[in-house]
Amino acid sequence: MSTKTYDAIVIGGGHNGLAAAATLARKGKSVCVIERNETCGGMARNAAFTNGSLAAQIAHLLYNLNPKVAKELGIGSAKAPLQTKELPTVSLQEDGNHVVIRGTSASLSTGAAHPEAAAFDALISRLTRFAALLGQMSTKSPPALEGGLMDLATLGELAGLAKLGFDLKRMGKKEMREFLRVILSNVYDLILDDLEDSPLAGAMAADAVRGAYAGPRSPGTVFSLMYRLGQGGGAQLPMGGMGAVSNAFEAAARAAGVEILTGKGVARVLIEGDRAAGVELDDGGSLQARAVLSNAGPNATMMLAGPEHYDVEAVRRMRNQRCKGTAAKVNLLLKSAPQCTGLNADLTAGRILIAPSATYVERAFNPAKYGELPKDPVIELVIPSLTDASIVKDGQHVLSAVVSFVPYGLEGGWDEAAQQRDQALTLATLEKYAPGISDLVMEQQVMSPADIEAKTGAPGGHWHHAEMGIDQILTVRPANGTAHYRFGPEGYYLCGAGAHPGGDVTGVAGRNRAFQLLKDGVL
Amino acid sequence: MSQHDRYDAIVAGAGHNGLTTACYLAKAGLKVLVVEKNDWIGGAAVSRALHDGWTYSNCSYVCSLLRREIVRDLELPKYGLQVIPYEGGASFTKGGDYFAYMSDHDALRREIARHSLRDVDAYERFSQTVIRQCRFIRPFLLRNAPDPTSMKPRDISELLFLVKQAHDLGSKELGETLRFWSMSIGDFLDEHFESDLIKAHIAGAGIIGTGLGVYSPGTAYVLLHHYMGDVDGTIGAWGFARGGMGAISNALGACFEEAGGKIVMGSGVDQFLVRDGKVTGVALENGDEYHAPIVASNMDVKRTFLQHTETKPLPDDFTKAVKRFKIRGSSGKLNIALDALPDFPAAPKGASFLRGDMHCSESLNELERAYDDWKEGRWSQNPYFDMLIPSQIDPTMAPPGKHMMTVFVQYAPYDLEVDGVRAGTNWNDATRKAFSDCVFDKLEQACPDIRSKALHAEIRTPWDIENEVGLTEGNIFQGELTFDQLLFNRPVPGYAQYDTPIDGMYIVGSSAHPGGGVMAAPGANAAKEILRNIGKRGAMSGYAA
Ligand SMILES: Cc1cc2nc3c(=O)[nH]c(=O)nc-3n(C[C@H](O)[C@H](O)[C@H](O)COP(=O)(O)OP(=O)(O)OC[C@H]3O[C@@H](n4cnc5c(N)ncnc54)[C@H](O)[C@@H]3O)c2cc1C
Ligand SMILES: Cc1cc2nc3c(=O)[nH]c(=O)nc-3n(C[C@H](O)[C@H](O)[C@H](O)COP(=O)(O)OP(=O)(O)OC[C@H]3O[C@@H](n4cnc5c(N)ncnc54)[C@H](O)[C@@H]3O)c2cc1C
Repeated sequence: MSTKTYDAIVIGGGHNGLAAAATLARKGKSVCVIERNETCGGMARNAAFTNGSLAAQIAHLLYNLNPKVAKELGIGSAKAPLQTKELPTVSLQEDGNHVVIRGTSASLSTGAAHPEAAAFDALISRLTRFAALLGQMSTKSPPALEGGLMDLATLGELAGLAKLGFDLKRMGKKEMREFLRVILSNVYDLILDDLEDSPLAGAMAADAVRGAYAGPRSPGTVFSLMYRLGQGGGAQLPMGGMGAVSNAFEAAARAAGVEILTGKGVARVLIEGDRAAGVELDDGGSLQARAVLSNAGPNATMMLAGPEHYDVEAVRRMRNQRCKGTAAKVNLLLKSAPQCTGLNADLTAGRILIAPSATYVERAFNPAKYGELPKDPVIELVIPSLTDASIVKDGQHVLSAVVSFVPYGLEGGWDEAAQQRDQALTLATLEKYAPGISDLVMEQQVMSPADIEAKTGAPGGHWHHAEMGIDQILTVRPANGTAHYRFGPEGYYLCGAGAHPGGDVTGVAGRNRAFQLLKDGVL
Repeated sequence: MSQHDRYDAIVAGAGHNGLTTACYLAKAGLKVLVVEKNDWIGGAAVSRALHDGWTYSNCSYVCSLLRREIVRDLELPKYGLQVIPYEGGASFTKGGDYFAYMSDHDALRREIARHSLRDVDAYERFSQTVIRQCRFIRPFLLRNAPDPTSMKPRDISELLFLVKQAHDLGSKELGETLRFWSMSIGDFLDEHFESDLIKAHIAGAGIIGTGLGVYSPGTAYVLLHHYMGDVDGTIGAWGFARGGMGAISNALGACFEEAGGKIVMGSGVDQFLVRDGKVTGVALENGDEYHAPIVASNMDVKRTFLQHTETKPLPDDFTKAVKRFKIRGSSGKLNIALDALPDFPAAPKGASFLRGDMHCSESLNELERAYDDWKEGRWSQNPYFDMLIPSQIDPTMAPPGKHMMTVFVQYAPYDLEVDGVRAGTNWNDATRKAFSDCVFDKLEQACPDIRSKALHAEIRTPWDIENEVGLTEGNIFQGELTFDQLLFNRPVPGYAQYDTPIDGMYIVGSSAHPGGGVMAAPGANAAKEILRNIGKRGAMSGYAA
């Protein structure tokens, strides 16, 4: 092993770890990323079928890639190429009367106008405006509570809050009141105050709770919908699969001079005199650094340094992190393109939702609370090969499905039989909307939340590493007292989805922590 | 024949909040009239004799939230109010065991240890957190909720008060407070305890009267709403009003009449009379009219504006906000006349906890499933209940040797689903009976002989509560206690200071800040606001002023 002392070591080459590394390297720091898997990308990677066709292993669409981060790191430039295509959203109804959503406009899949188009436009536009305001907070540090509200040291962050307050005021009293009313409420009531309970309402409800341990009736789900609308709410399909996105982050990091070690896991973080000093690898080797960032989950990050470096309260809070994953992934390799009842080829290439009503979404969540599979699951699916033929062979197609409300803590555990039930449930549900699809299946990949945890280390297989409830966001993300500065020992930082502002493929958490570290003067 | 009496102020509804407003106004020298639709006063704080010789506290049944500042200002003990604290409580299991809560610290520790050694310490941490949160919130109850969109000096100074209180908590506590306010009671308890039974015992207070499950964020706050009161200064303690909850309303009524006020009962308000954006009085269902430049409605905000006010002159936004105000009923109640004290085979003879609140729920999941039933328009097949036998402490509730049992049931829907149709009218004698059977079945878990001891049972569903008390959809708090309906959002953003778009008209019931329960705070705060607006701020004296 090298005797070199890096400026910083990043544990984990998820896209956030890569973003952190690239950001630091671009400031002239020497950085090494250590990734346990053979490839970087974490939850944003590709997986190959036996014939070489590619599917997004876990995450499959970009909703929230932060343009500021992309610009800073040159994602999409010649050094880190990435192409994406915006997809319309199609919310299915069993009888073939589907709803198509493009931005703020809703229509019927027949091309006819949607009777609630105006109400939907008003509602989603308002939420998107609110989301943009909240989005300001995402690239800043959350307001610190250390030192109390009046402490001068926190004035910088308070200025961020004040700007939010100012922008709110500028929207006018009426809008500001509406913002303050809905921000903590539940999405079910919000939607159904203005819309009938139909696939249109279902689509909004499903978007609000995908990846969350919450049904649309849970308070806090308006916030999670706004989080998803942070970049306007569109869904981009990355050409070449989600793996291409991580490849771009990786290329950006390498271009900035980051060294990347793959196939090596970090066993523990070396602490010298309450200061992060390097890492010890699973194979016994060690690397020195003046700062360490961790892309792992919050609790794992604490355990890597050792709980003895945290006060009792912090240890308790880390262990009590709410991170019960609820999303499973099913990828199908199909002989040919499936046919959804009443859907033309163009729309079949869209982002397709099975969430025919908000009530359906709530009902799907109920069994997850008791460790059971849903009877009728909520599914988000895309057939990327209809847009991007390069990922498949011989006119075959790939269907990528995120199946919601499949619980991490399944009663009886995630054994082979459970996997099969999950798979059968998904197919049976798809069959209702695309009769005959089962006959097209050549090969399947199934990832339960437990598999996702095993493959990527994401705690509980959770989409955001830590639930994005109101009690775990902003100043209290991942937990009270750890949100802001270093994570325990000096020079140690959490840089993954479990840190502010949260998950999705955004790059923000990683980039923010890199800046925080520089600001703290650790290097 | 219509009358044309003139008053300084009229209060529509003689619930405890309306009476509180009326008392403060009358004591400030105003000529005040209270009109009440029922032949009795008290609204949901009432004692009624529905079975010969028995007194039922037939809606609210225990007292703690009632602000002591108001009790002192209005000298309620002088008018007969006596609150007797009760101690302890228990949750019984199907297997014949129980968890008992006792106010004796050592006994409680021993009892917790019987279920889990670890939970003994957990309980200390839990109660410290809850007490701290109570201390934080209590100063806000008798203050107006500031309007954060306003630049008025009053609102800014109230906001600053809030910031100051928050600041005084210190950074760590502030973070914990934010978190606590936004958590589910289930997650909060899971963080502390390991015993399912203990968790279930405590969790009930997070869902009472609430259309949320134990795992819905926001239910930790609901728990707080049930812990922030006190009896004789003991925070979190509950007690019985001697003679039933009606004793509170009766004391308020007596205080009001002694201050020169007049109560007219037996005919409800048909219309609030409004001319040129100003309230002018009320027209009753029996045709009588009364006039005053100030009218305070004790009815919930929906009933006030959607049923008894001409909505056309109201701003559209306001009407829309009133329409979407959430007021779903989720609770039912059984009041039972008992021939004798039922037998509790699991409990030691004469155990003190039998005089407290008793439950039969064993786990958080069981409670969560009870909520899932409600969402689907069913009463909980395995319901949560809060059951007490007040006659053990207050013998005035039943004839000698007999007893009275009160069973508060969570969850029961207002719109009951039968054959795919959801409607309040589906509550009929047959469904009511089936609901009561379901509750009796579960009561047998604690006292197997309950059916043979029951002489009479009054079954109250949300539908019945709406029809009798006028609580829309039977919501016990006159509006759900969720974030979007608290503080400056309650009941309508921009109208959270008891005022309405109609000049001179006020909302003084539980629909207003700080919400429901027999607290009297909305009524007192509203009186203060009214007096301020008519330039008589100094006329209100006392602790609540
Ligand atoms: C089923 C599912 C579908 C999703 N779909 C989408 C989607 O379509 N769009 C979207 O935007 N988001 C989606 N998400 C969420 C998104 O994938 C994540 O929020 C995001 O990828 C998190 O990125 P990260 O870099 O913070 O962490 P991760 O991607 O989890 O990366 C962490 C990395 O750290 C490595 N690591 C951990 N511990 C160690 C160690 N000790 N030593 C070395 N390496 C270590 C891991 O191997 C991993 O590579 C989905 C999530 C799930 C569960
Ligand atoms: C079953 C049940 C159990 C409860 N248990 C407890 C408890 O144990 N402890 C506790 O603290 N709280 C409890 N509560 C909550 C508490 O009782 C209420 O929140 C509180 O009593 C409401 O008081 P209020 O004055 O705001 O309104 P209300 O009591 O609803 O008063 C409104 C008044 O207006 C009258 N009215 C309605 N329409 C008209 C009209 N058109 N014209 C004239 N008058 C009209 C009504 O008859 C009523 O008297 C319970 C409530 C219920 C329903």
